[in-house]
Amino acid sequence: MENISGADLVRAAAFIGAGIAMGLGAIGPGVGEGFAGGKACEAIGRNPDEAGLLTRTMLVAQAVAESTGIYSLVVALLLIFVV
Amino acid sequence: MNEIGVISQWAFNLFGTQFVLNKDTLIMTWIVMVFLILFALLASRQTKIIPNPLQSTAELMVGTWADLVDDSLAVKESRKYFPLVCTIFLLVWISNMLGIVPFLSEPTADLNTTLSLGLVGFIVAHYSGIKFKGIKAYAKGYFEPIFFMMPLNLIGELAKIVSISFRLFGNIMGGSIIILVVSYLVYSLVLPPVLYGFFGLFVGTVQAFVFAMLTLVYIVVQIK
Repeated sequence: MENISGADLVRAAAFIGAGIAMGLGAIGPGVGEGFAGGKACEAIGRNPDEAGLLTRTMLVAQAVAESTGIYSLVVALLLIFVV
Repeated sequence: MNEIGVISQWAFNLFGTQFVLNKDTLIMTWIVMVFLILFALLASRQTKIIPNPLQSTAELMVGTWADLVDDSLAVKESRKYFPLVCTIFLLVWISNMLGIVPFLSEPTADLNTTLSLGLVGFIVAHYSGIKFKGIKAYAKGYFEPIFFMMPLNLIGELAKIVSISFRLFGNIMGGSIIILVVSYLVYSLVLPPVLYGFFGLFVGTVQAFVFAMLTLVYIVVQIK
């Protein structure tokens, strides 16, 4: 057990940090995108003629909701490959 | 498994300053540009009332974006900003598609590409905001609810660049890394084509659409 040096500990902490960042960061976008998708389905059910416009708006809204998840992905990638 | 995080670069000195170019990104962007220019030339070579397949493909893409821009802007401004938005979409879209071709990589998996595209949209949006509303009304927009909200509004505007470029970069980069890792795990059997279909075709198309759409939305917000 004496071979574990400080650099290994830093590596391990970076991996754990990447896992935590990704896991916690995925909660928000999951909830948000599911909400947007569900509401869009309801709206299309009520008004099927506007399906194209609703799908377009939903996609843009989901992409905006996704951005925090993407940030956490970038942070996780940085932690894995750069630190 | 390819090396992740290793970038091949060209470095050279010019007038005593060190310039570093990302080789892969540069070559891939030129491939995309050549493809788009060739496509445009071939599609517009013999334009007829009854179009050939190439011309109708081009008409479909350009027409869809013309309608989309017309929805959110008045006719005069729409004709002005439609070429920019459509070009950004086509460039990003073909860039994202490039990942499914063997031996080629997406130029959008490099932050430099997406950041510069985001900066183009940002500068165009703010320039047109100043031009359409006048510098006074434009500056007043930052002090909108109360004067001390100015720093928050400023950071909000700057965060748009970060969010739009990191979104595209993170999606494409994350997709290609997931494909690499899963291909390594399953010895490139069965799963990689499915993943290429999802991350290359579906996510690539959606993100290209979202990137161009958000550029348009930023311009519209500044003009109105």
